[in-house]
Amino acid sequence: MDGPVKKKKMVISQETMDVDFVRKVEMLSDTSVRRCFQCGKCSAGCPMATFMEHPPNRVVRLLQLGQWQRILAGRSIWYCASCETCSTRCPNKVHLASIMDALRKLSWDAEGASKESYVQLANKLFLQNIRSYGRQYEMRLAAVFNVKSGQFLKDLMLGPKLFAKGKLKMFHSKNKNMAEIEKIFGRIEEMRKNGEAL
Amino acid sequence: MSRIGVFICHCGENISRTVDVERVAAHAAALPGVAYATEYKYMCSDPGQTLLKKAIREQRLTHVVVAACSPRMHERTFRKAVEAAGLNPYLCEMANIREHCSWVHEDREQATVKACDIVGMMVERTKKNRVLPTITVPVTKRSLVIGGGIAGIQAALDIADSGHEVVLVEREPSIGGHMAQLSETFPTLDCSQCIMTPKMVDVANHPKITLYTYSEIELVEGYIGNFQVTVRKRARSVDERTCTGCGVCMTKCPQKKIPNKFDQYIGMRTAIYVPFPQAVPNTPVIDRENCTRFKTGKCGVCQKVCGPGAVDFEQQDTLIVEAVGAIVVATGFDLYSISEKPKGSPIKGYGEFGHGKIPDVIDGMTFERLASASGPTGGKIVRPSDGREPKQIVFIQCIGSRAREKGISYCSKVCCMYTAKHTMLYHHKVHDGQAYVFFMDARTPGKSYDEFWRRSIEEEEAVYIRGMVSRLYQKGDKIVVMGSDIAVGVQVEIEADMVVLATAVQPQQGADLLAQKLGISYDKYNFYSEAHAKLRPVECATAGIFLAGACQGPKDIPETVSQASAAAAKVMTLFSKERLEREPIVARVREVGCVGCFACKKVCAYGAVEEKEIRDRQGNLLRVVASVNPGVCAGCGTCQATCPSKCVELDGYTDEQIVAMIEAL
Repeated sequence: MDGPVKKKKMVISQETMDVDFVRKVEMLSDTSVRRCFQCGKCSAGCPMATFMEHPPNRVVRLLQLGQWQRILAGRSIWYCASCETCSTRCPNKVHLASIMDALRKLSWDAEGASKESYVQLANKLFLQNIRSYGRQYEMRLAAVFNVKSGQFLKDLMLGPKLFAKGKLKMFHSKNKNMAEIEKIFGRIEEMRKNGEAL
Repeated sequence: MSRIGVFICHCGENISRTVDVERVAAHAAALPGVAYATEYKYMCSDPGQTLLKKAIREQRLTHVVVAACSPRMHERTFRKAVEAAGLNPYLCEMANIREHCSWVHEDREQATVKACDIVGMMVERTKKNRVLPTITVPVTKRSLVIGGGIAGIQAALDIADSGHEVVLVEREPSIGGHMAQLSETFPTLDCSQCIMTPKMVDVANHPKITLYTYSEIELVEGYIGNFQVTVRKRARSVDERTCTGCGVCMTKCPQKKIPNKFDQYIGMRTAIYVPFPQAVPNTPVIDRENCTRFKTGKCGVCQKVCGPGAVDFEQQDTLIVEAVGAIVVATGFDLYSISEKPKGSPIKGYGEFGHGKIPDVIDGMTFERLASASGPTGGKIVRPSDGREPKQIVFIQCIGSRAREKGISYCSKVCCMYTAKHTMLYHHKVHDGQAYVFFMDARTPGKSYDEFWRRSIEEEEAVYIRGMVSRLYQKGDKIVVMGSDIAVGVQVEIEADMVVLATAVQPQQGADLLAQKLGISYDKYNFYSEAHAKLRPVECATAGIFLAGACQGPKDIPETVSQASAAAAKVMTLFSKERLEREPIVARVREVGCVGCFACKKVCAYGAVEEKEIRDRQGNLLRVVASVNPGVCAGCGTCQATCPSKCVELDGYTDEQIVAMIEAL
């Protein structure tokens, strides 16, 4: 999916520049994307830049043009290791690591490849387990992740080792206060619906 | 017998890298007539000059040859040093072993031999140098300023404030120039009219300034300190002394739809007009090409309604001769146009932008008039085609500038800043609109300039897109802008309501013709050339003529004002002396042999050759011979080459000396 969107011509207008989304990013990251003048120092020092289809400077550039769909169409934000080299070295105090963080948060609801990324999938399954059991059930997490991501045999050989050390349990155990946990999840969902939380 | 001293300079390593200076010194020392030869690392430095002066005294030298750089660089330096040591300065000559030898050769052996030859030739020539007395000429302490824009106004006011008279000549009916057309100015956004018009009034009221508007320079004669300038005062058809500037003539004129040049042709004016209400002088002028009276002989309403009877259809151009001692050239700039250029012009138009045929594609100056409170729209930014307010506006920088293919390779310097200013003005006036800027580089090297540019992006919400626009075309009532964002690496398309082009700064039309009248040099774009790019940036190579403002190259207002004041300071320096010293390297006529053919007079570019009558004691005319006015002669030597009877000779370059130089080889 990232191929065609990435190369497609940008038609820029007040309608296609999603200023609201950018404002959200700026609010969450407490930084201004407009300050960036594209010197490229963030990308120059980024240890993960070679793996990204949009290097850090381009992520900011696309935000300046309100073209977040192009960012989330790729997996750049998930390659970011949050090492904060970019933020430390930026001459304009653009906190790029925070921007990446904000984009990862916002990608939860946004369409695009990022939504289906492995990291996002792992996050989702992790929370589903918490909601179901009140604590983590590693066996299910690993199994469902492998199936959903289509990598059926991924890290299979680690299983016996972890099992022998008692890190993987065959059966799940459940928290006693499931009602309380459900309340927490319910409240967060309520807040998200009302726009009080992301 | 002459005792010549030869001083060889290393010029750091500039000469000594390729020329064996010690060998040249040894060679020079052995030449007949040379009493002393030495070398030193920096001959022009203080220790170097001290060495030279000491040698003149101790060795009792009669002539000096300095083998170093070009005489253009340091001849004055060494002649001064020689003079300080008690010798006549014109007994010192320079042998150019840098530009003519070390810089242009690589082979050390060959370069050294050539340096020896050059020194040998100069020794022979210098032997025959005469003691020359300095020539002094009187200075007319009045100054001419050509051009009444901010540069000319500033220079005129500065010179006039120092107590010297100034003649200010302006081609248009009013002074003010381009600055009067601007709405606001960067980087402080103060209104251009508010800071400009008081200065214009100062010029009009200054007792030391004579103002000629609607006038042009016809002829320039003379030389530094003594120019005679003929000014053509074009027929205004309105008497400046009796006109009160009431403006009734303009309200009654039936011709009301003439596009006004001052408003970039988007506003209209009458046939009898002042270009703008704050014009100085506030005297209208009749545009004879569009006036019904001049076209058909009928009408004449303006004359009937004029209370003081100032309208005069019979008025003719007048020629006024002014004697001045210095000239400041401040003719300013013009803007490049993207329309098709006539065949043969080195500057091309922009076919990809429709050659200027899309009505809502305007240039930066037109945007200034739209944004100006005193402009044709009263400061409302609207499209010229239908008067609607543009909601999507695209600015494109570097139109013509830095486009070698279009014929201009320089940067126009002001566009980055004025485009940033335009985005701000637009954002202040159209709150729900969006400004986009296509740019290649943002060049903002001035005090508070970069901060200003960043402000347009960070606070005034302009969207800057790095990348040039490849094409513009009309689609319905929109203009499609096709560009690319090179930071993202994809094509960009914007449907704009209006496009503003930051077109290149060019010299005024006819700048080359004025330069030819003044005898000053200009570059391939017709920008006037300064005497030295770094150390003499306001002087022309022609003595007594100074430059101010954008006629020399693209400049913004602060820089123009600085240069204008600098030019004024140079004029005041010139006027601080009662008499000027001139180089005595001039032609002399051997009257005995002169046959009075006046071939020399015909070829002299400076008008220095005069006819002189030789009479006997009774006053009977014997012969008429040529005579050179040393105050005017520039020492070019053309007369010497022309004279059929070999009776004109240039001091320092006599035939005898040239032959001696050739024989030294």
